[in-house]
Amino acid sequence: MSPDAPPEPLSEALSAFIQSGLSITVASRDGGMQTSLARCFGCRVSADRRRVTLVVQHAQAAAVLADVRTSGHVAAVFSKPSTNQTVQLKGQDAVVEPQRPFDQVCAGQHVEALLADLHSLHEYGEPLLRAVFQWDPADLCSISFTPSAGFIQTPGPSAGNRLP
Amino acid sequence: MSAASVDAIRNCLEGAIPSTLATCSPDGVPNVTYVSQVEYVDHQHVALSFQFFSKTRENILLHPFATAYVTDGVTGASYRLSLQFLHTQTEGWLFERMKAKLAGIASHSGLAGVFRLLGSDVYRVLAIERVPGGSLPAPAPRRNLLSALRAASEALCAIGELSSLLDQTLQSLDAQFGIAHSMLLMFDAAQQRLYTVATHGYAESGVGFEIGLGEGVIGVAAQHRVPIRIAHMTNEYSYARAVRDQAIDAGFSTDAEVPFVGLAQAHSQMAVPILAADALVGVLYVESPEQQRFSYDDEDALVTLARQVGLAIRGLQCVETAVAEDAPRTQPVALQTQGVAAVRHFAENDSVFIDNDYIIKGVAGAILWRLLGQHAENGRTEFSNRELRLDAALRLPDIDDNLEARLILLSRRLDERCDFLAIEKTGRGRFRLKVGRRLELLASVPR
Repeated sequence: MSPDAPPEPLSEALSAFIQSGLSITVASRDGGMQTSLARCFGCRVSADRRRVTLVVQHAQAAAVLADVRTSGHVAAVFSKPSTNQTVQLKGQDAVVEPQRPFDQVCAGQHVEALLADLHSLHEYGEPLLRAVFQWDPADLCSISFTPSAGFIQTPGPSAGNRLP
Repeated sequence: MSAASVDAIRNCLEGAIPSTLATCSPDGVPNVTYVSQVEYVDHQHVALSFQFFSKTRENILLHPFATAYVTDGVTGASYRLSLQFLHTQTEGWLFERMKAKLAGIASHSGLAGVFRLLGSDVYRVLAIERVPGGSLPAPAPRRNLLSALRAASEALCAIGELSSLLDQTLQSLDAQFGIAHSMLLMFDAAQQRLYTVATHGYAESGVGFEIGLGEGVIGVAAQHRVPIRIAHMTNEYSYARAVRDQAIDAGFSTDAEVPFVGLAQAHSQMAVPILAADALVGVLYVESPEQQRFSYDDEDALVTLARQVGLAIRGLQCVETAVAEDAPRTQPVALQTQGVAAVRHFAENDSVFIDNDYIIKGVAGAILWRLLGQHAENGRTEFSNRELRLDAALRLPDIDDNLEARLILLSRRLDERCDFLAIEKTGRGRFRLKVGRRLELLASVPR
């Protein structure tokens, strides 16, 4: 992905990766360049792989949602705990979307896949993970954006490089 | 947002659940990344590990504000920290502490060699916000650490003799804190090394094991006078390896060494410097086969206890030098009396071998050789600390000679390794050399 050319669609592999039930955190910023952060509870990619939608919880993500409405800027980091494989996507046209019927299905599948991966590390108990990833079906909404830049963030020599 | 007190959320900084950090470029592009370490500095400051020249780095140098997302690895409660970047430290206690911890984190996540600490980025915590969401009740602590500290402290007050003080310290760690594996090492300022004088919880005693400044968890804690706490096993700071490398560096065989008796699989380690005022006296080392066994609170408790131990050791050494007293201190020992034994001394490191069995080296080795020489020459058995201090041949340092600790080390090594030689305390500053067998003293010419 080049920063200057019109955004390319995500590759099939990247699209599949970010929808595979990863640990996802989204950031935005306000008019004074103060940042905000929230944990995400789901991710889906549009059929043309140009649009990414992140499911969040209103109550937890209030500042991020306000900042997205103000600035349109987002950065999201996606990481698979069992392999440390990590990418970051950025966008400048983010919008907040109200809850859609499939957000709940998306969140349910996301959390189960992520917990399965975390369980494979044998480090965290089920009650702890359920507490950390507890979600309220009535409180979901989403942030969608066109990824305009992507970066490798897997720890190692390639960290920080642009995605091919 | 509440007024910031990092103390209240220290458990989030143990790194059990990874933290993330958001920064922003001056032209308004946010960046979000995982952070290997968010380290507690004090109630208003944290330090983040700087490992790679990254977008985060670029951003905070131009726009020094950030937001961190941290989660308690026990309760699952999450917090957002509003941070202001202050400066980067590339050496000193904070850096060394984070470097040691990072080695543990890296090896735990299969990234040994990938993570290298370039600096500790210090941030002021402007605000802490609890993220709404689920959490578990905090479990009851396994011990009340203040009560444990009080009991351990009182047990130390009752002791008027160094050898018992060392043992009592380690016994209290077990009895009061539930820490089953521990060691106490004294610092040899002249050699810049640490030698083990007491251990607790191991099959072998390990008294006499030595480590250089800067080597492993213990050596780093001593060198930088800072507690080092590692929650996960790491080869980088392991003693099996440190000892081997050190032996290879020195060109010595490892024969004249007491092996490290610590756990082969120590998943948690903590080394706390023992200080008297600002002077390094030694190191208290604890370990556990459990991951993340030692918390920030355990560290605070042990640092406080080690402070008291340091002052007590220094106090007892002063008393030892100043006062002479008559009451015998130790029970007489029954010794083997049959046969002849060969005692060999190697001048290059003052190591002493009895019938080819390594006993001791360094200052304590020189003392043993001197005592045995005097005994062979004129049959002397009664000695005083004072005469050892005045003995030019022993070249004890003028101050902080740690003579008492060295005699404890010597006495314990003889006790473990030799059934026909013993050192018996006969009063403050005086002791008796007991020799069961006839000895043949062999001085080796330096190689």
